[in-house]
Amino acid sequence: MSGQGESYGQSGREYENSGGGGGSGAVMHYMCGDCAVRVPLEKGAPIRCQKCGARVLYKERTKRMVQFEAR
Amino acid sequence: MPRQPPTKEELEARKIVGINLETITNVHDTNYPGHYPGEDHSWDIEKFKQEFSVEIHKNDPYEASFSLIGLDASIANAFRRIMISDIPTLAIEQVFLNNNTSVIQDEVLCHRLGLIPFTAGKEGLRNFVEWQAKPRETGEPADCRDSDTFQLELKVRCEHNPDAGPHETDPTKLYKHAHVYARDIKFNPVGRQYEWFTGENAIRPVNPDILIAKLRPGQEIDLNMHMHKGVGSDHAKFSPVATATYRILPVIDIVEPILGRDAEKFQKCFPQGVIGLEKVTAEDGKRDSRYLGHEGELKAVVLDAMRDTVSRECLRHDEFKNKVKLGRKRDHFIYGVESTGQLESDDIFLQSVQHLKAKAKTFEKQLVNMVR
Amino acid sequence: MPSQLKTSGSDDVSMDDAPTSHQPQQDESMMDQDEVEDDEENDGEEEEEEEEEEEVQRVKLLPGSTETAASFEFANEGHTLGNALRYVIMKNPEVEFCAYAIPHPSEAKMNVRIQTYEGTTAIQALEKGLADLQDLCDVVNDKFLEARQKFQEQNGVTA
Repeated sequence: MSGQGESYGQSGREYENSGGGGGSGAVMHYMCGDCAVRVPLEKGAPIRCQKCGARVLYKERTKRMVQFEAR
Repeated sequence: MPRQPPTKEELEARKIVGINLETITNVHDTNYPGHYPGEDHSWDIEKFKQEFSVEIHKNDPYEASFSLIGLDASIANAFRRIMISDIPTLAIEQVFLNNNTSVIQDEVLCHRLGLIPFTAGKEGLRNFVEWQAKPRETGEPADCRDSDTFQLELKVRCEHNPDAGPHETDPTKLYKHAHVYARDIKFNPVGRQYEWFTGENAIRPVNPDILIAKLRPGQEIDLNMHMHKGVGSDHAKFSPVATATYRILPVIDIVEPILGRDAEKFQKCFPQGVIGLEKVTAEDGKRDSRYLGHEGELKAVVLDAMRDTVSRECLRHDEFKNKVKLGRKRDHFIYGVESTGQLESDDIFLQSVQHLKAKAKTFEKQLVNMVR
Repeated sequence: MPSQLKTSGSDDVSMDDAPTSHQPQQDESMMDQDEVEDDEENDGEEEEEEEEEEEVQRVKLLPGSTETAASFEFANEGHTLGNALRYVIMKNPEVEFCAYAIPHPSEAKMNVRIQTYEGTTAIQALEKGLADLQDLCDVVNDKFLEARQKFQEQNGVTA
């Protein structure tokens, strides 16, 4: 069952969208656990939601294209 | 003592499988040369042509029901198996996900997409679509051509509906594109596909109302798909039939008269339309002495044995279990072919016959090489 | 009328030479001393055919076969062809014995064994069987088309 969804698109078919510019490094966005707002965070920045102060942030789904066999 | 050639009744009786309360008798076909001394049962194409017949009961585009009479079970089964597993169709094979923020997992969504049945112009399907070339020796897949790959796209984003009423609870009204249906899949033709698959003949889902996923605001599905030709033996999504079945014609033989209340009870033992009730007439009395003295009573007659489902209910009752003989006519196959919508049912059957012939032909040619 | 069953003949296969159901890939003993070898008969398994115009050789003669008693192995075939072919070959009065088997369900191999009376060889019987099967399919095809035509005429041709 684990072999079903092969995502071998990762090896060579990906095209990356770079995150929004600005800031000293790459800025990544995370989803706040409580208020579901998209929170931009730089490297080394404290991990807190801007709006509600929650400390649980989820990573966003990758922008890379993923390929599956429809089986 | 010289053997008499078999009478017509005997030949007919050989074709009937006996169905008793707890046993089945006379199951196997015995029409092989040497089984009956003095009789010739060798293969004769002319004799087969004379005895074989086809009766079509129903021929709707995607559901056909017909009888093949005079065929052997092994051949009938071969046709059925080929219809299910060896007739090629188009289905989604590769899914390229750019974004899927719905609650349906990637692999589950892709699995669902593969199972959606598609239809397209029959001419194009028959004459234009080719098999994909085999992967190269390096393991890389072969290039896609316009004749073997079809591109489809599904791009849906769910948003709040500003026009919804204040106390609305129905998600389809509260949000835009909350439900993703098969009709949201878009076909993007390439190259020669414009000639074969546009307008009426475009590649589209058989049923546009198939629900693929449900979304809420902020969720998005953005994917591309490639569709290829395949066969059911590889994956069930490629099978052109929902079901391809056959059943064997039931035979109900009323050997002793069943009259009056018994006849009514007898009728209830079978599905509607199998047994009818008729009044005993004077002629019946003249023809068959067992009916004498019962004029005016109702007797049971077999109206249409084909509608019977052979539940053997009548054998469970002492009143008439010895008055009726049940059986099946071994060489009469009633086929039911239900297409999923890409190919027409009668076309599926004809393709299966051609396929069996092609199999035999392939091996006939290869026999020459086997023997050096 | 076909002759009685042979009990034993000089060209009958002995117990040691009869193949078991599973054949290992490399066979040590291909040549059997007590068989009559003909020019056209070969235990052709080591000499594999090259791929000729994309067609892979899918039928081969199994070792231990004689002229009138032979086993064939079909690759990538199953009950669909096996049972149908068996039926048609059995209708040949020159065939003494015909059966098909699938040695293991995990492998897509189908074996057919044909034993004939003196008049024909096993390979001829197989050829005839394949030809008869094609004729059968033609008859079914034609009769179905006829019946469909008649049905459409009776019920009015719908688009």
